[in-house]
Amino acid sequence: MKIRKELWFGFSLMAAILLVTVIFMPWSNMQNGHIGLLMLSLVVVAIMLGFPTAFTLMGMGVFFAWLAYRSGNPDLAVRQTLDLMVQRAYSVMSNDVLISIPLFVFMGYLVERANLISKLFRALELALARVPGALAVATLVTCAIFATATGIVGAVVTLMGLLALPAMLKSGYDVRLSAGVITAGGCLGILIPPSVLLIVYGATAGVSVVQLYAGAFFPGIMLASLYIGYVIIVAKWKPHLAPPLPMEERHVDLPAANEKMRDAISHRVLPGLIGALKGSRNLGISTGVIAKQGFVALLPAMALALFLGFTWHLATKPVVTNEAAGLVEMGGGIAEEAAEGASGGLDEPKEEGGLAEPKEEGGLAEPKEEGGDLKEPPADDGLKEPPADGVKELPAANAAAEPVKSATAAAPPAPSAVDTAPGPAAGITPEAAERRPIPIWYWIVLGVSVTSAVGFYTIFTFVRLEVFKMLLGSFFPLALMILAVLGSIVFGFATPTEAAALGSAGGFILAAAYKQLNFGVVKESVFLTAKTSAMVCWLFVGSSIFSAAFALLGGQNLVEQWVLSLNMTPLQFMLLSQFIIFILGWPLEWTEIIVIFMPIFIPLLPHFHVDPLFFGLLVALNLQTAFLSPPVAMAAFYLKGVSPPHVTLNQIFAGMMPFMVIQVFALALLYIFPEIGMWLPGVLYGN
Amino acid sequence: MQIQNILLTIDKISTFIGQAFSWLIVSLTFMITWEVISRYAFDNPHPWAFDVMIMMYGSVFMMAGAYTLSKNGHVRGDVLYGFFSPRVQASLDLLLYFLFFIPGVFALAWAGYNFAGEAWAINEHSNVTADGPPVYPFKTILPVAGAFLLLQGVVEIIRCVICIREGEWPSREQDVEEVDVEKLKEMVHVKDEDIAALDRFVVAQEGAHSSAHGGAAK
Repeated sequence: MKIRKELWFGFSLMAAILLVTVIFMPWSNMQNGHIGLLMLSLVVVAIMLGFPTAFTLMGMGVFFAWLAYRSGNPDLAVRQTLDLMVQRAYSVMSNDVLISIPLFVFMGYLVERANLISKLFRALELALARVPGALAVATLVTCAIFATATGIVGAVVTLMGLLALPAMLKSGYDVRLSAGVITAGGCLGILIPPSVLLIVYGATAGVSVVQLYAGAFFPGIMLASLYIGYVIIVAKWKPHLAPPLPMEERHVDLPAANEKMRDAISHRVLPGLIGALKGSRNLGISTGVIAKQGFVALLPAMALALFLGFTWHLATKPVVTNEAAGLVEMGGGIAEEAAEGASGGLDEPKEEGGLAEPKEEGGLAEPKEEGGDLKEPPADDGLKEPPADGVKELPAANAAAEPVKSATAAAPPAPSAVDTAPGPAAGITPEAAERRPIPIWYWIVLGVSVTSAVGFYTIFTFVRLEVFKMLLGSFFPLALMILAVLGSIVFGFATPTEAAALGSAGGFILAAAYKQLNFGVVKESVFLTAKTSAMVCWLFVGSSIFSAAFALLGGQNLVEQWVLSLNMTPLQFMLLSQFIIFILGWPLEWTEIIVIFMPIFIPLLPHFHVDPLFFGLLVALNLQTAFLSPPVAMAAFYLKGVSPPHVTLNQIFAGMMPFMVIQVFALALLYIFPEIGMWLPGVLYGN
Repeated sequence: MQIQNILLTIDKISTFIGQAFSWLIVSLTFMITWEVISRYAFDNPHPWAFDVMIMMYGSVFMMAGAYTLSKNGHVRGDVLYGFFSPRVQASLDLLLYFLFFIPGVFALAWAGYNFAGEAWAINEHSNVTADGPPVYPFKTILPVAGAFLLLQGVVEIIRCVICIREGEWPSREQDVEEVDVEKLKEMVHVKDEDIAALDRFVVAQEGAHSSAHGGAAK
C-alpha cells in the first residue's frame, strides 16, 4: 500500500515536470536558451530515476555542452567540450573552499567515535531535570551539540533513537513528540556551523564561508531555541504528552566520601568540604579527596574570577574599543584551547553561564548549560548585554563594590547572606593612575556576577556537584571544541581549512581522552571520510560541468529575462525562490538542490538587491525542511530503523510536522528581522 | 561464479586504491595543524603549504571516486529508486550507465589525459607562489582517477546485467558504513531485546489514546 503511494507521488511529480516542459517549450522556435531549460527539467526527472547524481549531471553536461558548442562551430565542438570538462574538473580539484569538507567530515567521524553522546545525554538529562519536558529538552540540546560537532545526521538520529527514545517512552512521553524531537534535533547540525552545507553553498555561490559561518550562528541558535521553547510550552500545556521526570530517574550516585560529608555535615558542597576538612579525623576522609572535590567545586568561581579580572583589564586598559576587546578575549580562549590545558580550557563556557544565570531563578544548574550552549560570542555579549540586565535586576548595583577575588572566595562560607548581594561596599580598590577609571557598567557586571556566584554556591549541593562533574566530562569539551573551531574562523585567526584541520586534530585528542582512539577507529573514520568527500566533490565535478553547459546554452539569460519580465518585488521574488527550494526539498537532497539550482538563483539576486550571504542563510534554514519533509525525510527512516516495531512511520512524520512549521516560522522571522543573521557578520566584517 | 570473482577482484582494486589515498586525510590534518603552529608559534609559514594542501585534498576525493562507486556510495535521488524491484533498478541503471556515465567519464578521462600530457610536456609548476612545486603529477591524477572510475563503471554495468538475469543484486564486499546500526547499538550498549521491550510502552499509549477517543465519542 505504502509503496504504491510513494511511487505515485514520484511518477506524478515527474509527469508534471515533463508536461509543463512540453507545453511551454516553443517547439517551432527553439533557441539555445530553450534547450538549456529543457536540460534543466530533464535533469530533475533524470535525478529522480535514481542514478548516481554526480554522473547524471556529468553525462548531461557533456552532451549539452557539446550541443552548445556545435551551434557555434561544429568543427571545434568536441575539443571545446573536452577542454571545458577538464577545466571544470580541475577547478574542483584545486578548490580552496571545498578542501575543508574532508577535514570537517573527518572531525565529525572522530568525534562520533569518541562516544560521549550517552554521557552527554545523561548529564544534560540530570542537569535539566526541573525544566518542563526535561527529557525532550535534553534531547534537543544533546542533538544540537552533537550534531553540530559531527554533522552526521544519520548517526545522530540513530544514536538518539537508541538513547533518548527509550528514555522518553519509559517516562510516558508521547511517541509523536519524542520522534519529532529526535528527528528535528538531529538535523540541527546541518544549519549550525561548522556545517558542510554552508561550505557547499559558499563554494557554489562564491560567498565567503567565514561570513556564512558568522551569519548562520544566530539563526541556528534561534531555531534550536524555538524547538526548545515549543517543547517546554507543550510540556506545560499538555503535561500528559511530556510528563516530568520521575524522582528515581533523577537519582545521582554520590561517591562514598561525598555521601558521608553530605550526611554528616551539610548537603551543600562548600560547607560540607570545609567541615570535613576541620574534622577530617571524625569522617576519615583524606585531605587529598577533599582537595580534589574542592578544586572541581571551585572551578566556576575561578572561571568567574578570571573572567572578571580579564574584563577589568580590558575595561580599564587605555583606549580600547569594545570590538577589539571581543577579538582579544576570544583569542585568549582559543589559545588556551589549542594548548588543551584542562583547567584553562574549561573556563570559557562557564563565564557565560555565570552571566546568564541571574536571568532565571530557582534551579541554578539549568541556566548554566543553556548559558554555555545558547549564548555565544562571549566577549560581545559579556560586554554589552549584562549592563541592561543588571540595571533591571539589581537596582542596588553599587552594593557589590568589593574586590573580585575575595568576594567570590569569601562568599561561600557565609551562606547566611543568601538572597541579597554579598556585602556592603567595603572599599573600592584604588586603581593605578594610567588606567582609565572603571566604567559604571563594570560595577554592574561585577555585582551581577558576584551575586549569581553566591546564589550558585548556596544551592550547589553534592548532587549538583556530581552533575557538574558529568557535564565537565561531556558537555564542556564538545562545546569548547565547537566554539574554538568557530571562534578561530569567525574572528579571523584561521581560515576555515585550518580551523577544520585543527578541529580534526581536536577530534583525535577527544577520542584519545575518552580512550576510544585506536587504529581501527582511525581507519574507519578515514575510509568513511574518503567516501563522503568523494561523494560530495564528485557531485561538484558533475554539477560544475552541468552548470557550465547551462550557461553556455544561455539558459541563464532566458531565466533572467523571464524573471525580470515578471516585475516582481524583492519580497515576491524571495517568497517564490524560497518556495521553489522548499518544494525541491521534497524529492531532492540538499546537495543536489544547492549545486544545481543555486547557480541559477544567485545571478538573479543583484536585480532584487538581495545579499547572497543573506540568501544563503535563508536557503540553509529552508533546507532543514528537506530533511524533515516526506517522502525523502532521511531522518525519519533512520529513526524508524531503531525504534520499537509499533512506532510507525506515520507517527514519526506526524511528530516532525510541528517542527517543520517551526522551521517555516523561523524562516519568516529571519526574513523579517535579517539582523538575526546579518548582525554578526556586519559587526565583524563591516559589510 | 567466474564473473562474480572478476567483479570482486576489480572491486578490491578500486577499494585498495581509494583506501590507500584516503590516508592522505590524516597527513592533511597534521600537515595543516603543523603549519598553523609553525606560523603562529615560530613565525615560520611555508610557501608551498597551500599547494600541497590542495594536492592532497584533490587526490583524496578523485582517487576515492571508484572506491565510492564500488561501495554504491554516490548519492542517488531516492524518491522512487528504493521502491523499485531489483530488476527495474538494474534496467534503469544499465540504460543510464550507457547514456550518462560512460560518455561523461570517458570524456573526462580522455580530456584529462591530454591535460596532464601538456603539463608534463612543459614541466609545469604551480604559480600560486613563486617557485611553486610541480603540478604535473597532480594533474595526472585526473586521467588516472577517470580510468579507474571507468573500470569500476564496467563492473557496475556487468552487475546490472547479472541482476536483470537473476532478479537480485549480486553481492558486494562489506565496508565501513556511515550509519552502521549494529555498531552504534554496541556503542551505546542497547540490545535488540531492549528495543523490543519498549514496544509495550508504545502499545499502552495507543491503547490509552483509542480508549480516550472512544470515551469522547460516547
